Amino acid sequence: MPGEVSLRGCRVLLVEDETLVALLLEDMLEEIGCTVAAFAASVREGVKLAESLDLDAAVLDVNVGGVEVYPVAEALAARRIPFVFCSGYGASGLQPPWCEKPVLAKPFVQTELESALRRVCAAVPPDP
Amino acid sequence: MEIQSSGVQPRATGPLAQADQLVLDLLPAAVYVCDGHGRIVRYNRRASELWGRSPDLLETEERFCGAHRLLDADGRLVPHDGSPMAKVLTSGEGVQDREVQIERPDGSRIWVLVNIAALFDENGSVSGAINCFQDVTDRKRAETQARESDRALVASEQRWRKLLEALPSAVYTTDGNGRLNFYNEAAATLWGYRPQLGETLWCGSLRLFWPDGRPMPHDQCPMAATVKAGIPVTGEAVLGRPDGSRIPFSAHPMPLEDESGAMTGAINMLVDISRHKRAEERQILLINELNHRVKNTLATVQSLAMQSLRHSASAEAFRDTFGARLRALSRAHDLLTTGSWEKAGLRSIALQELEPHGFEGGSRIEVHGDDLELPPRAALTLSMAFHELATNAVKHGALSEPAGRLLLEWSVAKRDDGRNHLEIVWVERGGPPVSPPNRRGFGSRLVERSVVSELQGEVNLDFAQEGLRCFIDIPLPAPVSRQT
Repeated sequence: MPGEVSLRGCRVLLVEDETLVALLLEDMLEEIGCTVAAFAASVREGVKLAESLDLDAAVLDVNVGGVEVYPVAEALAARRIPFVFCSGYGASGLQPPWCEKPVLAKPFVQTELESALRRVCAAVPPDP
Repeated sequence: MEIQSSGVQPRATGPLAQADQLVLDLLPAAVYVCDGHGRIVRYNRRASELWGRSPDLLETEERFCGAHRLLDADGRLVPHDGSPMAKVLTSGEGVQDREVQIERPDGSRIWVLVNIAALFDENGSVSGAINCFQDVTDRKRAETQARESDRALVASEQRWRKLLEALPSAVYTTDGNGRLNFYNEAAATLWGYRPQLGETLWCGSLRLFWPDGRPMPHDQCPMAATVKAGIPVTGEAVLGRPDGSRIPFSAHPMPLEDESGAMTGAINMLVDISRHKRAEERQILLINELNHRVKNTLATVQSLAMQSLRHSASAEAFRDTFGARLRALSRAHDLLTTGSWEKAGLRSIALQELEPHGFEGGSRIEVHGDDLELPPRAALTLSMAFHELATNAVKHGALSEPAGRLLLEWSVAKRDDGRNHLEIVWVERGGPPVSPPNRRGFGSRLVERSVVSELQGEVNLDFAQEGLRCFIDIPLPAPVSRQT
């Protein structure tokens, strides 16, 4: 169906320092049909995974153990891998140049996560 | 009053002589005439009034002046033979507008302005002199008062200036055209330099900005508004110093007016509000941080609810499981709050989760280990881990049977990687036979995931038949303080 991006089988990187929230996200992603390809609880680990793994999308907590997640976002953007931010600060918590990126305000429900992922995945032009 | 006119003159007699005296008496100025010897030969009514007495004519004992006593401008007594009249008679040179004081017989003093001209005979010798004097007491008094009030004014202005100088707040004034004509030390300190008086316009700061950081022309500053409109203004701005630093301030200019109400300039007080601004920013930061924490905690609670729902067979089971988990989370928060959200003791965490299951009874549950201080993240994780392990033990494990035993102990050991590792051992015995679960429960997922991801540790869950064993190994950030 044109315009409708399938998330089935999507390999997703999850960067979130709060285990309980990570477990929730993991369950939500599985319900949506995605696979959690990897999980990182620190920015350093997140960057490593974002640079090396075979990924279709990512969900990034903005504040990971007191460190801002932007290096992971840069690594993903460099590889044209779409991602969604999530934050307790909401959209106002994003620093330039990321302000315009979609943000899921915590706490959020599964449908919000799903539509945000669909949006960012649709926005990325397929590789030629 | 009878006018004494006996003596040497007048030469004219009859009505003319009478008219002569009348003219003198009608003059508003005091007049008297001395002969060459200084004897008073004639004076008019006004002279008598000013002297406060009427001296005898041609009196040789009382020459040169009809006053009771004569004093110079500085108040020194002048003997009659040293009076201006005596000098004119000696020198023949007149006196113009000399101020002297007359003391009357009643002791009162008046100021008089004296003009004297010499009279000469046909040989050119001084034959006498005319003294014309007038009362200038009122004028002198007004002058003295004016001088005194001038002095008072100067003193008052100096006092105000000193007061403004001494103020810890920055204060400056401008004239009606907005040119600076005064500023105190505090103003120079705030501006970071000393602007030129009489030249600098509106404000002494080198640069000005609006609160949002845009440059503000000096003629749009609050002081300019006050000088132009003649009304008090309150405003906020940011000033730039020569060293490049910027200071937010509030300005409180007020017009200055003279007695007639005309504006002569304005005075402005500048208050450094950087501390206030910093406090404001800190407060916003704190509120944001609080909001962030609350939202994260809500997400945590959401996760607990979803996980509990997923593994609960009934609404009652969900209620109990979810409620217990929420309480465990809340207790961990309590412990962290006691430690200012910086630390919590491991023993306190363990006991808090085991006490509801009979630890206080003593014999079934053993806990060995120091009250190690843990950072918030580790404290929360282990708190939830102990809660899940304890709940599992009570439902399915050793604590589900009276004979069951639980041992929880930990120690810190230095490893090959040079770091201290916290080793926690959870051993259940005497319960029903254990078999590995068909699917991973929330508890084991939580324990494994949190210890591995959040604490970079390792977990080994051993579902041995004689009882569940759980080994947790966490590398500790050095240094670790001990409380025993």
